[in-house]
Amino acid sequence: MLYMDEQIFKLMPQRDPIVMVDAIYDAEGDTAHTGLTVTERNYFIEEDGRMAEPGLIEHIAQSASAFKGHLALLAGQPLPIGYIGEVKKFHCYLRPAVGDTLTTTVTLGAEVNGVTLMTGETRCGDTLVADTQMKIFVE
Amino acid sequence: MTKEEIIEKVNPLLAEEFEVEESEITPDAVIKDALELDSLSLVDLVAVIEHTFKVKIPAADLPTVKTFEDLYNYIESHQA
Repeated sequence: MLYMDEQIFKLMPQRDPIVMVDAIYDAEGDTAHTGLTVTERNYFIEEDGRMAEPGLIEHIAQSASAFKGHLALLAGQPLPIGYIGEVKKFHCYLRPAVGDTLTTTVTLGAEVNGVTLMTGETRCGDTLVADTQMKIFVE
Repeated sequence: MTKEEIIEKVNPLLAEEFEVEESEITPDAVIKDALELDSLSLVDLVAVIEHTFKVKIPAADLPTVKTFEDLYNYIESHQA
């Protein structure tokens, strides 16, 4: 475990109630594994007790942002601020429920002029919850 | 991979990725016009080339890759 709970705040600017990552388990090369335990207080929880699909997009984007923050910290650089530039090929297979723990693999790909192509895959246990490609703009 | 093999491989990939007719991809055509590239989709081009040919195009080299002919030559000369 590299970061958990409030340690994540060192890596990205988001704060409650919009923090959608509560752990970085490991990071190596272009890939990191992150996590989120879904609580009742989660901003994206709907009346049926399940997360709205945009919450999964936000979780994956914040996972990439936190990973970028980790890399910046290692390099002694200022904390970057990331924006979602584009979401491509997003699939939601299951809306997670309160109490679920999500594990997400983010892989950073090609980067041009601050725009990074990344892929993200979120699982709950062995069950695939969502996957997507995104372009994130980092400044 | 020869230049002809590169062309045979890359043209259909780019046509599919950027949803253009393959006939629009000609050696003299300007890439950003033919593929309607913007600042966001430029990274898709770089990713396709990197994934398919294991050739990374750094941002500093992009201004030299204007036409598809430039792209074919770049891939050919930077293959592992």
